[in-house]
Amino acid sequence: MGLLAKSQTYRAISEALWQNNPISKQILGICSALAVTVQLNTAIVMSLALTFVVAFSNLTISLLRHQIPRNIRIIVEVAVIATLVILADEFLRAFMFDISKQLSVFVGLIITNCIVMGRAETFAMGNPPWRSFVDGVANGVGYGSILIGVAFFRELFGSGKLLGFSVIPASFYEAGYQDMGLMVLAPGAFIMIGLFVWLEHALLKEKK
Amino acid sequence: MSGSMKSILFATVLCVVCSLLLTAASTGLQTRQQINAEVDRRKNILLALGAVEEGRVAAERVQELYDTYVQSLWVDGSGRCVDADARQPEDLPVFIYERDGAVQAYVVPIDSKGLWGRINGYLALENDGSTIRGFTVYQHQETPGLGGEIESRWFRQNFEGKQIVDADGNFVSIQIAKAGMVDTLPAERRDNYVDGISGATLTGKFLNEGMRETLKRYEPVAIQFRQDRSGCPGGS
Repeated sequence: MGLLAKSQTYRAISEALWQNNPISKQILGICSALAVTVQLNTAIVMSLALTFVVAFSNLTISLLRHQIPRNIRIIVEVAVIATLVILADEFLRAFMFDISKQLSVFVGLIITNCIVMGRAETFAMGNPPWRSFVDGVANGVGYGSILIGVAFFRELFGSGKLLGFSVIPASFYEAGYQDMGLMVLAPGAFIMIGLFVWLEHALLKEKK
Repeated sequence: MSGSMKSILFATVLCVVCSLLLTAASTGLQTRQQINAEVDRRKNILLALGAVEEGRVAAERVQELYDTYVQSLWVDGSGRCVDADARQPEDLPVFIYERDGAVQAYVVPIDSKGLWGRINGYLALENDGSTIRGFTVYQHQETPGLGGEIESRWFRQNFEGKQIVDADGNFVSIQIAKAGMVDTLPAERRDNYVDGISGATLTGKFLNEGMRETLKRYEPVAIQFRQDRSGCPGGS
């Protein structure tokens, strides 16, 4: 365990998932986190798409890192990321048409998601392929965990459903329970993300 | 090799590799995507007719309902229906909804200008040729959260039961009012207006224009239906 905890790969994973989580610690990728978290299934698909893109862009950039000319490296990174995003978008439209319609522009906007670019530039350019790939997966999962957490509460309180199935029993509604309209709107996501950030910071502080 | 030559070479190779990948993916998946898009259009026709529930519907069910109840025909300038093989280039597409042995409604495709791109949808009209049965949007490029709300259920439901003719039976089309302004209109005109979306006045304006143009072109068939509820004679 001692050796594992010291390995750089392990550090990359734990940083991305927890100490340096892209959303709750670095406050990156908020735009899509607000937009696609009304329902759980869109949040899950979005997380998978982003994980795919970060992992493989990190891998590709890391493989090419000694060849990429310094002066055009940002352009190269964007070209690689854009290619992967369009691939993901094409696959979604072919195999998950309904969800791809709901995600609309937000899959395409992964290109501009700071997490992907940030990992390519700060991690993949200076680390070997395998570690970069793992770092990408971990960052995708770190992003996805917050996204899915936010979507869980938004769908539960906003529409009384989870993954499209009603979970709040009808007797609650008869007794006067009402869905929270705020949760369906973007401000609901802001508040939810804020709570997640607070929770994480409080837990991290306690540890120290 | 000089630094800038290397950069140019690298960029060229990268571009070629990326475009090859994208071309392969795009051509390989095209058929599937087109089938999906076609099923989605059919689902929206059924949705406008109220023949299928909102939300996710299996592709097989869409096909089955569509094949059973919907007939895809063309109308000529005099409002007569013709089969696909007898159509003239200027004829317009129409979808006839036949159930329980009678024509219940018909659907006209909407292809309107929008704020950022085309707005595509369907408008279903009852067999009286003047009452709107339903409205759906299956493709648009409007701003998500503002103009994008045209595809939301609450907005589409505003159309149900509205009239495209005034109290005297003259064609007036359907208008999207400014958000929250419908109730300030005189009572006899309210049937021709639907509540708009706040923050999407321009989308509403473009859609108004698009619907007026479409409905005007389809007036001959609407007149047929107003005279005779089984309307649209001539189709098989």
